Amino acid sequence: MNTSSLSIALVSLFAALIAVFGLIPKIDLPLGVPITLQTLGVMLAGCMLGPKRALQALLLFLAAVAIGLPLLSGGRGGMGVFFAPASGYLIGWPVGAFVAGWVMHMLPRTTPRSAAISAFIASAIGGLLVVHVFGVVGLVNIANLSWEQAIMGTLVFVPGDLIKCALCATVVHTVARGLPDWRFGG
Amino acid sequence: MGSLYSDQRTWLHGVPAAIKLVFLALLGTGVFLTHNLAVLLTSAAGCLLIFIFLGQATTRTKPLLLGLLFASLLIGLFHIYMQQPMLGAVSVLRLFCTTLMGVALTLTTRHTDLLAVFEWLLTPLRYFGVEPERLSLQVALMLRFTEHFFILWRRLDDAHRLRTGQAGGFKILAPLTIQMLVAARRVADTLHVRFRR
Repeated sequence: MNTSSLSIALVSLFAALIAVFGLIPKIDLPLGVPITLQTLGVMLAGCMLGPKRALQALLLFLAAVAIGLPLLSGGRGGMGVFFAPASGYLIGWPVGAFVAGWVMHMLPRTTPRSAAISAFIASAIGGLLVVHVFGVVGLVNIANLSWEQAIMGTLVFVPGDLIKCALCATVVHTVARGLPDWRFGG
Repeated sequence: MGSLYSDQRTWLHGVPAAIKLVFLALLGTGVFLTHNLAVLLTSAAGCLLIFIFLGQATTRTKPLLLGLLFASLLIGLFHIYMQQPMLGAVSVLRLFCTTLMGVALTLTTRHTDLLAVFEWLLTPLRYFGVEPERLSLQVALMLRFTEHFFILWRRLDDAHRLRTGQAGGFKILAPLTIQMLVAARRVADTLHVRFRR
């Protein structure tokens, strides 16, 4: 199979997966913290595609949002979302997916079990840590919060994101068993 | 999949997409560089006027504007609580200007026009092996597959509900991903045959 064609297909399909996650209704935790599945898409893209293709998939998704397609959860889209207080998280998605892909590429992934453990670590670093760092920077710069306030604000979402890391690891484990020839992390 | 673009023609529809993007970029940079309340208030009034003059086309943006209002209110109240009302006003005005103009741009610009601008912006990357014309193909593929995978998700959910009496939830995520990866390989084969690359 030609790698260029495979790249086009995988990048488009993962961007589509993230869009589909936006169509699925959000789940509210007992404390009122919403879990939308789109950050899970960021983690999955990194772990499944590797750094370069994951970055491309997220850039493609954000380009589609920027041109006005209502692909973010709740039917949001357009240029306006890139100026909102939470835009730091959005900008962090491609970087987070890249880092998750790079970490996944570096870690052992020969067996389903090792791939799942690596996916948990990769998604925690890329999909959680990196995305939240960008989110905090966005909150500080756009909403003019102090660093402490922004960090406290973002910590509320960490439990939900840790659940997504575990979900990502579970999906990777199942895919590793279902498609043994799949190259995780690119 | 519907776009946020409005077919109801306004004066802003006639302005080229590139000019609107440049204006938005300059406005965004300008309001983030200044802390002068008078300048920000003038900008906000200007943005509001531009938006009001779009007329009936703005009706469909009510949910987006309510979201903006809610976020502004939260930020404003938070800064008042922290006894920094001036900082709150600056933050809210910045958010107001940029979001309102972002919504106006989206409302009055066809996504194909914006895509053409993005492709033009990506042209210098051709020297690094990036093919800008791929962007349109990938956006088209993405939209096609968003619909396809949403239907697939619903089918898997229905099947799970029939078997267990409960919604599939996260349990159908792994089968969906596997089916998606298999589909990706098939699509790659088709693209290879079609485009020979």
